[in-house]
Parts: sequence; structure tokens; C-alpha cells
Amino acid sequence: MSWLTRLSNTVRSGRVEREIRRELEFHVAERADELRDAGLSPEEAERRARGRLGNPLLQAERTRDVDIALWADGLARNLRHAARSLGRAPGFALTVAATLALGIGANTAVFSALDAVLLRPLPFPDADRLVRLSQKEQASAETMIAPVRLEEWNRLNSTFRAVSGYGVEDVSETSGDLPERVRRAFVTPRMLEVWGVAPALGRGFSEEEHRFGGPAAALVSERYWRRRLGSAPDVLSRRLRIGDASVPIVGVMPASFRFPDRDVDVWFPSAVDAPYAQSRRSTWYTGVGRLRPGVTLEEARADLSAVQARLARQFPDPDRKIGVDLRPLKQDLVGGMGRTLWLLFGAVSVLLLIACTNIAALLVARGMARRPEIAVRRSLGASRAAIAGLVLAETLLLALAGGALGLLVAGVATAAFRALGTGLPRVDEVVVNGRILLYCSVSTLGVALVSGLAPAVRALREDAGLATGESGRTQVSGGQRLQWALVGGQVALSVTLLTGAGLLVRSVHALARVEPGFEKTGVLTFRMSGSWSESADYPALVARVGRTIDTLRALPGVEGAATTGWSLPGTPTEWESSFALVEASGDADRRIIADLRVVSPEYFATMGIPLLQGERCEQRSVGTRGAPAGQGYDLMVNRAFAARHLSDHASAVGLHLRAYAEGALEDASRPGRIMGVVGDAREQGIDRLPVPTVYTCLSAPTPTPFFVVRTSGDPLALVGAVRARMKELEPQRSVYDVGALDERIDGAYGQRRLLTLLLVVFSLSALSLAAVGLYGTLSYTVGQRQREVGLRMALGARRADIVRQFLGQGLRVVGLACAGGVGLALALRRVLAGLLYGVSATDAATLLGVVAMVAVVAAVASLVPAVRAARLDPMRVLRES
Amino acid sequence: MSAPPPRNDVLQGTLSLLVLKTLAASRRLHGYAITSHIQRVSEDLLRVEEGSLYPALHRMEQLGLLRSEWGVTDKNREARFYSLTAKGRRQLAREEESWNRLTEGVGRVLRYA
Repeated sequence: MSWLTRLSNTVRSGRVEREIRRELEFHVAERADELRDAGLSPEEAERRARGRLGNPLLQAERTRDVDIALWADGLARNLRHAARSLGRAPGFALTVAATLALGIGANTAVFSALDAVLLRPLPFPDADRLVRLSQKEQASAETMIAPVRLEEWNRLNSTFRAVSGYGVEDVSETSGDLPERVRRAFVTPRMLEVWGVAPALGRGFSEEEHRFGGPAAALVSERYWRRRLGSAPDVLSRRLRIGDASVPIVGVMPASFRFPDRDVDVWFPSAVDAPYAQSRRSTWYTGVGRLRPGVTLEEARADLSAVQARLARQFPDPDRKIGVDLRPLKQDLVGGMGRTLWLLFGAVSVLLLIACTNIAALLVARGMARRPEIAVRRSLGASRAAIAGLVLAETLLLALAGGALGLLVAGVATAAFRALGTGLPRVDEVVVNGRILLYCSVSTLGVALVSGLAPAVRALREDAGLATGESGRTQVSGGQRLQWALVGGQVALSVTLLTGAGLLVRSVHALARVEPGFEKTGVLTFRMSGSWSESADYPALVARVGRTIDTLRALPGVEGAATTGWSLPGTPTEWESSFALVEASGDADRRIIADLRVVSPEYFATMGIPLLQGERCEQRSVGTRGAPAGQGYDLMVNRAFAARHLSDHASAVGLHLRAYAEGALEDASRPGRIMGVVGDAREQGIDRLPVPTVYTCLSAPTPTPFFVVRTSGDPLALVGAVRARMKELEPQRSVYDVGALDERIDGAYGQRRLLTLLLVVFSLSALSLAAVGLYGTLSYTVGQRQREVGLRMALGARRADIVRQFLGQGLRVVGLACAGGVGLALALRRVLAGLLYGVSATDAATLLGVVAMVAVVAAVASLVPAVRAARLDPMRVLRES
Repeated sequence: MSAPPPRNDVLQGTLSLLVLKTLAASRRLHGYAITSHIQRVSEDLLRVEEGSLYPALHRMEQLGLLRSEWGVTDKNREARFYSLTAKGRRQLAREEESWNRLTEGVGRVLRYA
């Protein structure tokens, strides 16, 4: 009998039923004939014939049960039935559905983030062939590539379809009433070839436009076209005004094209043949390439390394020191987000598992409470399969309700995620789509199976005892063992989750108490648009930034103002560079590796970094291309630098350092003089100890340095005044990236805090679920053993003994579970490594705290049913049973 | 189920053997004829419980041991006729074999135990 026939039987079940009736009617008629022949009256014959066949309705039903698989026809019936029976226990149904809604919803939400960020390819054709190219320089964090080198890489390699590069800057667009900050990417030739994307309107850049002195052209994003240009159909005849230049728009990129980051709205061609672009030391572009079909990353790496080795022979200085680094673009973009997401997904899956086991335990208990009902069903002829089907139908119905609600929860959660996680990569791709719908459905069915299986199997096994009518007073142990195992598992998993959450909470606290070595409160930070074209006249750029600092300092409520080059203090960044000490004795080539910060002289006073020795550095005059004019730049070093590298000398002040690898300071080979020593500050991130640091005193290493403004009051109260003053001073520029420094630092650790918060929520939910499971199971045990309790009390047991007995039973399981949970947490301790600060992954205090917390919660959850047992009236219990 | 059975009902499990054997002897029979045949051939020693016959027939049909079709009896009544499939024949051989072994074993025990 094929499933197909069964299925068609189900569909045509009316017909099948009629056929069975006809067959049975025939039998009755034949039998009646025979009885009549034996001399009975026709009526009597008919009655006896029917009687011998048994209840014809039941008979038809049983016959049909065989004919039609229960799973299909029975499903609809069972679901109807389950709905009725759940309707009679609305509290139970609601609890279970809500638990599942949260479990499935949270799980689906985290999965949708995981899917969008990690599993789905980047939104470009054949995105797995996109590769991030970096140059690797010894003892330098520099990864950006010189234009000439990038062009050579493109020309000489044989594994890439194309290699391209880009840089990003924030400029002001001034064709409207107000200048607007626009994030602009300047791109080398072949950008569209690498991305594999064509403009939605217009065209890409021509070869001419990529040439020095060639015609100007710009591509704009779909968003920019829509918002700023009102989706004007004549966009291709419009022009952008950036700085003094008026640039024709030649195309609009499709909405899905958001690169290098989602804020980029304008793309400009970069001229790689410009005379000023020929230095092999310049570091302009972030590289990206598209592999030829069938080429592996290893092959490409070997190929490009060979190319670079050739260049090293040809241009030993500086290419000898430069290597290549290749990584899949997706990996590069997603970065550390992957681990956070897997961690969250693990936690939320554990939570769902706990919810499932909890519901399984509830259903087992409910199944036992329903024994009389099931016994009646069995005696009325329901088959075992029918009973199991009924239990599964109930679970399925609950899971479906939970899944549907869970989808809503997931929808809300992903919207919240998009709104809150603005700094996270690919976060705008996190949506509930078909894949997520599918995932949610599959997990709902999985939930129904996982939580329904144990109760259904129980219902099947129950059966034997039922028929005999001794409704299981004596044989509860089997179900009880299962229930206790489920509860123990829940508690153990909760302990593990709580341990992880506890460790993260302690890290966040430790981080908040950190003394960073600078004063992070009361500082307003912002940036101002600028263009790299300004660096053509470096003295003017430095003068402009100096003017801005002076203006800021003159504002009422401002105590100090300064700039810092590439990043804010306390946010995770490192600018590792190497230096040589000019006064070094002996091995003059000894290399000193240190963090390099480029700041304006007022930086130390503004940030509250104390001057320990010597005097404050000064801004020296600057040559046309950023190189120091005359003597080198003034330098400051921190205490760690002086202690580690300059301890041979009587005083650090007056020594000279020469930059080894060239960073942003092009040709800074002229040694700088150390003017003073300052205190150690956690510049590289507040979670890292201060490292030896060299400060170069230059207010504008980039056209868009960070301004830091020390205020006497709330820094954000000053935003309006700063904006107004800046508009007077620089009407063509826009102010952006505005925020209080402490909030910016917090924001830099937002991902970790979000992880902590979510883990806390998940683990507390897990604990409360486990507590409910414990309470329910113990209550049920008490209910089952009423008679025994009554008997013991009648024989003189004291109430305290009864309480102790049940409390002990609950706590024994909890104790074992705690041990298991702690063991699991210790086994998984590597998972959190690197996310913790100031606390070890095996921190005893955290583990003890978690166990104590679980023990207290478990004790309360067990105490209630235990006390209830002790309050039983022995006489009544014994009479009733 | 404590009272002794009022008549010699066919043991559960032997029913299918009896049905298979009956159908092997005749080409095709309806349910009523199967019960009558078993009763007659066993000289009233065995009596099929009519309530369990039809579920058994349908189960056997699902297992592919029997096939059925509607037809008309001599009395011009519509009835469902069952006949044996090849699979049913093989099943019969197996069940006969195991039945014989069972009776032989039980017989020996009764004789010598």
C-alpha cells in the first residue's frame, strides 16, 4: 500500500467509508439469510446478524483506521480535537505558546542576523571571488597601497580579473542652500569591473576621466539621487559642487550598491597617473580584486607575492620591505562580528532547547494527569497510534501558535536590531525574508517534535497499565525519571548560560572602572569635512585647522580644544610604527616599535594627560607636502616609551627619533626631537593597557582630524554653539561625527555590551524556565505521592520531614545539574576568550555566584510544593484514595 | 476479560493464516464466504470473530497479501471479493511453516514435559 493510495484514501475518505459500509451490509444480509433459513424471524435474524458483527459504526471505524493512515486524515481530526482540549486549559496553552513564541522568536531573530551577516554572500555578483588586498609592511600597521604599486599589481598578475582600489573622505557638497557632508570614495580604474555592477542609470568612468587633467565626472548613489536630487529624471545633466569644483554626474549606481561603506554617496575617478601619485611610499588606496573563475585564494596569494617579489628587485626601496596580504572580502567586512553572532546563536538555541524540554516536561505531567481520559478513549477503541497522534497534535498546535507569534517577535527584533546596530557591518541586510520564514517553520516543526516526542512515547507506554484500570499509582517512577532528567538538563544549561553572562557583566563593570589615563568625560568631539586635495597646500591646511582650534577655544564654556589625527583616544585602534633613536649607541639600526599618534600641541592639556617631564611640544612649520620645514616635528613620548626604550639615557627630553616606516607623514625621515614625557593613556582602547607611544605634534595629519573640545559642563549642550560658530567660520564645510567622547568610547564597545545584555536576558529567561520546570515537576511528584505522604504522616512523620524529603529531592537534582553546568561552562571557556576584560574565564567568584543564585532560585521553586505537601491533611488524603 | 471464552475463538494471529489458506484453496471469496468456509472446514471447531475479520482483511490488503474487487454474488448481491497475491502466497508458506513448528513444539512439550 503506497503512501499515495493512503493519501488518496484520505482525500476520498467519504467514498472509502461508504464502501466499508456496503461490505459490512452485505455480510449482515448474508448472515441474516442463514439465520432466517434456520427458522428465526426476519427481525430477529437481522438483529442477531448485526450483533455478531459488533457495533457496525465502531466496526466501520476500526476497519477504516486500518485503511487510512492516521497521520493524514487523523491530523485534521486530531488538531480539531487538540484545539478543543487546549481550549479547556487556556492557562496551560497560553504559557506554552508564549514560551515558545519567545524561544522561537529570539532564535529566528538571531538567525536572521547570522544569515544576513555571515551566511549570505555579499550583494555583488559572484561575491565569493572578491578579495581584499593589503600591503604588509614590517612593523607597521599600514595596509593602504600606493597608486603605482596597485597599477603594477593589476598589470603583472595572472590570477585576477581586475584589481582596483579606493579611498574615502568626507567632503561638503554646496550646490544646495546649506553645505551638506557627503562621503565620497575616489576610485581607481576598473572599479565597476571588480564589483561586477553596472550603473542603474548613465555610465561608469571613461579612461579619459581616470587620467590626470582629464574631464571631471561623478557617480552618485541611488539614495543620494532620491534624497538630494528628488529622483530628478535629468540627473545626468546635473552637477555636484564640491569645494570649488563643479562636477557633472555621469551615472547613478543601483540601490543595492553600497560600497566601500553604506554612507558613501558619491564616487569620483582617481587619477593614478598624476605626478603627485608616483611616490612608491604613498599609502592611498584600500585594495580590492576580483579573482578569475576557478582561481583559489592560495593561487592568487602565490601569484601576487611573486609579482611583489619582482617589484622588490626592481625597486628595493621601499618595496623590499613590502609584502602582500589577501583575504576574502566578506571575512574582512564581517570581522569580529562572526564570533559574537555564533555565540548569541548558541545561547539562543540553548534557550529554545530549554523551552522545549520544559514544555516536554509539562506535557508529560499533563499526559499523566489525563490518564483517566486516555483510559476512557482506549476502552472506546482508540488505538495507541491515535493517542500518540493526539498528544503530537496538541504539541504541533502549540508549536504553530508559538511559531506564528515568534515570527512577529522576530520581525520586531530585527527592526530593533537594524535601528540599534547602526555601526555593525551589513546590519541593514538583516530582514525577515523567505529564508527566515523557512527557518522559522522548520524550527517550529523541530520544536513540536522535540517537545512532543517524549510525551507521545510516554502516552504509548502508559497504555499497558491503563487497560487494567489501576491508574498508575504504583508506577510513576518511569515518567518521573524522565521529567527529572529534563529538569536537570534545563538547570545545567541555565548555569552554563548564566556563567557566560556573568563573566561578560563583570568584564563590562571592570571596563567601566578602568582609569584610562585621560579624562573621558566632558569632551565634545566632531569632525569637519575636508578633501585630500587640500593637502596640495599643506601649510594652508594646517593654518585652517589651527584657526578652527583657536575659534573653538574662544567659545564660552570651552576650556580647551585640540585635534587628534586618525582616531579618538580609548577607541580600539592601533597605529603601530617603528622608530630609530638617533642618539642610540652601538647598533644604530635598532628598531623601536611604538604606537604613533599625531595630535595638536594642546591635546595633552585638553585630554588631561599630565606632562611629567620637559615641556609641551609645539607645532613646527610645515612644508608644502606635509614634510616638516626646517627641523623635524616636535615629539612627545609617554612614560612607557621612556621607561622601555630610553632608560639608558639620563633624560628622554632632547633625544631624537627618526621614523622608520613612513606612515601618513610623507618623507618624515627628518628626525623629530622629544620635547617631553607625558603620562600613560589607554589610547589604543580602554580595554588595553597603555603601550609605548610616540606623539607627533601636527594638528592636521589628515584634512579631517577629530576635534576634541573640553567643556566645563555637559559637552552636548555646546553642540549648537559649536555648529553656529563653525558655520560663520567655514560656511563651505559641514560639521559631522558629533558626540561626547565617553559615549563614543562606549559606542566602540557597543557590540560587546549588546552581546552582554542579550546573554543576560537569555540566561535569566533560561533560569526562570528551569525554575518553572522544577516547580512543576516537584508539584506533580507531590500530587502523585499524596497517599504515601498521608500514610507517613499518619505513622508519625513530622511536617519538617516531609518538607525535607521533597526539598531534598529537588535540590539533589539541582546540585547534580549545577555541577554539570559548571563543568560545561569550564569546557566551553575558550568561547569567551578575548571578550573578557579583567576577569578570567574560570573566575571562581562568578561561578560561585551563579551556583548560589541558581541554588536560591531552585530552593524557592522547590519549597513551595514541598511545603504544600507538608500541609496535606493525612486523614483526608487516605480517605480519598 | 476474566471469564473463559464462550466459544473457541480463533486465536489472534492465526486469523491471517486461516484467511490466507482459505483463499489459497479457492480463487476468490467475499468476507462472509471466508467465515463460512473456515467454520465448515474446521467442522465448527473454529469460528471467526466476525468483528475482527474485516479489519484483518483490510490490513492484509494494505500489506499487499490480498487484492480485492467488487462483484455480484449468485444471489445478485454486491460484495467485495478477495483473492491472494503472489506475496500472499509466499506469506502463507512462511506462516504455515511457523505454525507447524509451533504446534510440533507445543505437542512435544505436552507429551514429554
